[in-house]
Amino acid sequence: MAMLTNRRKNFVVAMSLIAPFVLIFALVFLYPTIRMVQLSFTEGPLIGQGQWIGLENYRELLTDNLFYTSLKNNGYFVLLTVVPTTVLALLIALAVNRLSGRLQAVMLMIFFLPYILPVSVVTMIWAWMLDFQFGILQPVFAFFTGKPVPVFKNPSWVMPMVAVVTIWWTNGFNVLLFIAGLRNIPSELYEASALDGATKRQQFFRVTWPLLWPVTTLVLTLQLILQLKIFDQVYLLSNGGPFNSSYVLLLMVYREAFQLNHGGYASAIALVLFLVIVVVSVLQFQLLRAGGKRQ
Amino acid sequence: MNTIKTLLTGTALSLCALPALAQQEVVWWDFLAGGDGVRMKALIERFNEEHPDIQITGTTLEWGVPFYTKVRTSAAVGQGPDVMTYHLSRLPLGLEEGVLTKITDEDLETAGLSKDDFYDRAIDAASGPDGDLYAVPFDIHSIVLYYNKSFLEGSRFLDDQGNLTGIESLEDFEEALALAKENGSQAPVSYATGDDGGTYRVFFTLLRQQDGELITDGEPLAGDNLEKAVRAIEIMTKWTEEGWQPEQAEYEASVALFTSGKSAFHMNGVWEVPTMTDMAEEGTLGFEWGAVQVPTLMDTQTTWADSHAFAIPVQGDEEMSEEKRDAVMTVIGWMEENAISWADAGHIPAYLPVAESDEFQSMEPNATYSSLADTASYDPRSEVAGVASPVYDAAINIISPAIHGYLDPQQAAEQIKSSLTDVMD
Repeated sequence: MAMLTNRRKNFVVAMSLIAPFVLIFALVFLYPTIRMVQLSFTEGPLIGQGQWIGLENYRELLTDNLFYTSLKNNGYFVLLTVVPTTVLALLIALAVNRLSGRLQAVMLMIFFLPYILPVSVVTMIWAWMLDFQFGILQPVFAFFTGKPVPVFKNPSWVMPMVAVVTIWWTNGFNVLLFIAGLRNIPSELYEASALDGATKRQQFFRVTWPLLWPVTTLVLTLQLILQLKIFDQVYLLSNGGPFNSSYVLLLMVYREAFQLNHGGYASAIALVLFLVIVVVSVLQFQLLRAGGKRQ
Repeated sequence: MNTIKTLLTGTALSLCALPALAQQEVVWWDFLAGGDGVRMKALIERFNEEHPDIQITGTTLEWGVPFYTKVRTSAAVGQGPDVMTYHLSRLPLGLEEGVLTKITDEDLETAGLSKDDFYDRAIDAASGPDGDLYAVPFDIHSIVLYYNKSFLEGSRFLDDQGNLTGIESLEDFEEALALAKENGSQAPVSYATGDDGGTYRVFFTLLRQQDGELITDGEPLAGDNLEKAVRAIEIMTKWTEEGWQPEQAEYEASVALFTSGKSAFHMNGVWEVPTMTDMAEEGTLGFEWGAVQVPTLMDTQTTWADSHAFAIPVQGDEEMSEEKRDAVMTVIGWMEENAISWADAGHIPAYLPVAESDEFQSMEPNATYSSLADTASYDPRSEVAGVASPVYDAAINIISPAIHGYLDPQQAAEQIKSSLTDVMD
């Protein structure tokens, strides 16, 4: 009996402890999400009621060329950022890890600094550095290509440059994750392998790499989710142009909802993007885990 | 911070005054941040001084999509302003969104105005398909051709008084550009070639001068309008190829090219007139300038134009109180009567008693180009046209890169057609 009351008491305490979170979560996340799903089945405007039209929005989406262009650009952007940023972060982490004391802290800070900047500041910095008339990086372009390049106005340069800006901005966080991962590897393993005559190269591929794999998986998955949600940099740097070469799904959501007042259609696109992210990231995580187990 | 302070003081003041005077507070939103913003703030201050019973609390928001998005979302829940500035080109979209309230004849009477007091074109643009008025036009603004006399001296393009003359066709204009280039002008005609507004306004002017239409009966670039659009893009492309216009110029850069004496001509809105006047007064301009209506380069005399207007947004589910609405209309009426101070920002008043007054007729350079009000071409009446619309997006997404040689004019025009068709479905 005593145990039963105890249990009940525990339950009440537990419930009252998580209640504030559950309530707020339901209010600002769950409820809006459900309403958004509802909205995607209507032809409603951004604000107000709309008529129920079933799957019409989704059907329309499948015939919308801009949707496929955006999907393709999202994919291209993921290719340009996810693996490169992970590799770069790993290299930086390995290098920084060899330093010690204050110097290491300073280097880490330098790499982490861009991450704390708001996106508008980041894009402002790069828009000026790459400005067609006055940008300080234009001489570099002129040296390699013979003339200045309006990077955000050139269909083939725009996505790679947005990727560069994004990597510069977000890389610090990945470096931090890798540093944490590296510090978790016991130093005895390196000592033991050194005694057995392992070279640096072998140490990296037999000790560091396998033990770092869980962190790598995490970084890759986080990056994939983050980069599929690309919006701010494109909106601020190129507005989807030129010729839609940097048009991405979230920009499409934004334009449909806030410019054209098509709340229902915008919700449908958002939901499809959500599903794409869920499927792709779960798939990627499983694949990477399987890959990790084999090693 | 300042806005918050003003708002707080405004609210505090109106709360204090409420019992004694029943003072009306009118919340005002505009998107005027440049030289015209300064003039608008001066007007608001003067109004507040002259009207102890009505106080305007003004807030300036960012021009374009941010302004119109905020208006829509706030009006829908009754948190919007009592009166706001609105582009007439944006009216069709505003009507579809349902953010605008009707301006009745009684409203106009309260303001001391009537429909006959305005340019017909402005009233047409401010009316819905039902013929009712949804905004009160304040001005007509357009692009004009600014010119720097120093590059044209001694040529046939300046008359005895030193005014621009002899440009009656595209050939004339291009001859003048070539001449200016020879005389050392770095970019003979500057406009914002890397910006949506600048590119769109020149494109639309060239299209309309061929009697082309952007949208007819819900179809973009129908029939031979497509070829006319191609022609317009070809002309603009040629100007890049010949080195006559700056490459990828952002708005500010396009103005700076002219004010720093590197461009012989500058195609931009009348709202930059104060910049030139102020600089000429301070003696920092360094050359003599003038501004004229964009000449007839193609077949017909016309120019892209738009209007700033005043509109009263819906207040969520509530109705605006009678007293408040009267106060708002008083504000609008007063602004119209004092539009001469607004003309100082380069605009042409839409209110005829001011536009036809001696004071405006002698105001330079406005008087020189004010004739454009009679031949102005407003944006097509469509939900996809107007400020911050898909048409503007097409300008930055398709026209601007095309005139820099990234796409053939024919294909560019076809892309405009298909992208607008897509959003209209």
